Amino acid sequence: MTQGSRLPAARSGSGPAPAQLADVLERVLDKGIVIAGDIRINLLDIELLTVRIRLLIASADKAKEMGIDWWQGDPFLKRGDRDGSALESRLRRLEERAGLPTEEERSER
Amino acid sequence: MSEAAAAWYAYGVVPASTQPEGTGIGSRPVEVVSEGDVAALVSAVPADEFGEASLRERLEDRAWLERTAREHEDALERALAATAVIPFRLCTVYESRDHLREFLAAHSPALADLLARLDGRIELGVKAYFAEARVETAEPQSGRDYLLRRQRERDAAEEAARFRVECAQASHERLAAAAEEARANPPQPPELSGRTEEMLLNGAYLVRRDDGRLADAVAELESLYGPRGVSYEITGPWPPYNFVPPEVVG
Repeated sequence: MTQGSRLPAARSGSGPAPAQLADVLERVLDKGIVIAGDIRINLLDIELLTVRIRLLIASADKAKEMGIDWWQGDPFLKRGDRDGSALESRLRRLEERAGLPTEEERSER
Repeated sequence: MSEAAAAWYAYGVVPASTQPEGTGIGSRPVEVVSEGDVAALVSAVPADEFGEASLRERLEDRAWLERTAREHEDALERALAATAVIPFRLCTVYESRDHLREFLAAHSPALADLLARLDGRIELGVKAYFAEARVETAEPQSGRDYLLRRQRERDAAEEAARFRVECAQASHERLAAAAEEARANPPQPPELSGRTEEMLLNGAYLVRRDDGRLADAVAELESLYGPRGVSYEITGPWPPYNFVPPEVVG
């Protein structure tokens, strides 16, 4: 078993590397209580090139392909589903803007 | 702490008795704003940097996002070492302490209940990775040989696909049985996980801080599935991000 990258003892000084950024972002962007606050930022509206979008779409689709979709009842992912098509079209726009091949172009090859 | 135009960045909610400790966003001190039984962990941040338009821009800045996410996480982890924590999503910002107090007062009973439920608990992450075995075979000697091999490869691919699903589900169920609550999140693709192996499971588990059963379950799974190319990784302890409702109820 690979021990977690950061148990409490490791936090001070020269311990193992800090947590993977993807693990931190997955939590702070998609989990945790949403409080309206005074400044309203809908994190779903933020594009976060490559990071957020790939977390939400690429991995969910890939897992579904593999037949692993038992989390479908999860409210967070239901929300993801609802916004899926909007995010997908945004992903396509971003890919075009970045000059990357889109999903369709990739699968045509 | 009171800079000219300050806004209040809120990391999460803790019991009112919590002592503030260390620094958070932009290396600013973490403070406690309490109201009744509950308190918010906050830092005074420049209002211009954390205004709506400015935040929108900064959240697209990969370096700023990474730094801020880690500072948010670190402030919560420091609190988690001593007390129960209800983590907020990144960039929860109030214009004044009074507004924050109003929020706490309005939701105090629900927040206190949630803190009581989370007391003494931590979130651990468990990921399972699968490295498919590559079978090397000699060059086919005949057409029949070739077709037989193609058939074997198809069978192996189907078997591997079945195994991935079975292993992910069985692993999650075994881990969930060792936890108070469990969530299976979508596996991360390799560009996020930083690993070449395929991620089969990306689970989060709520356990008592001193409970070793989850680690035992991982060891058990590793001896069961390890020989077939599956490895496991535990991360945490995390604040219980996966085990708070998306919004405050009540």
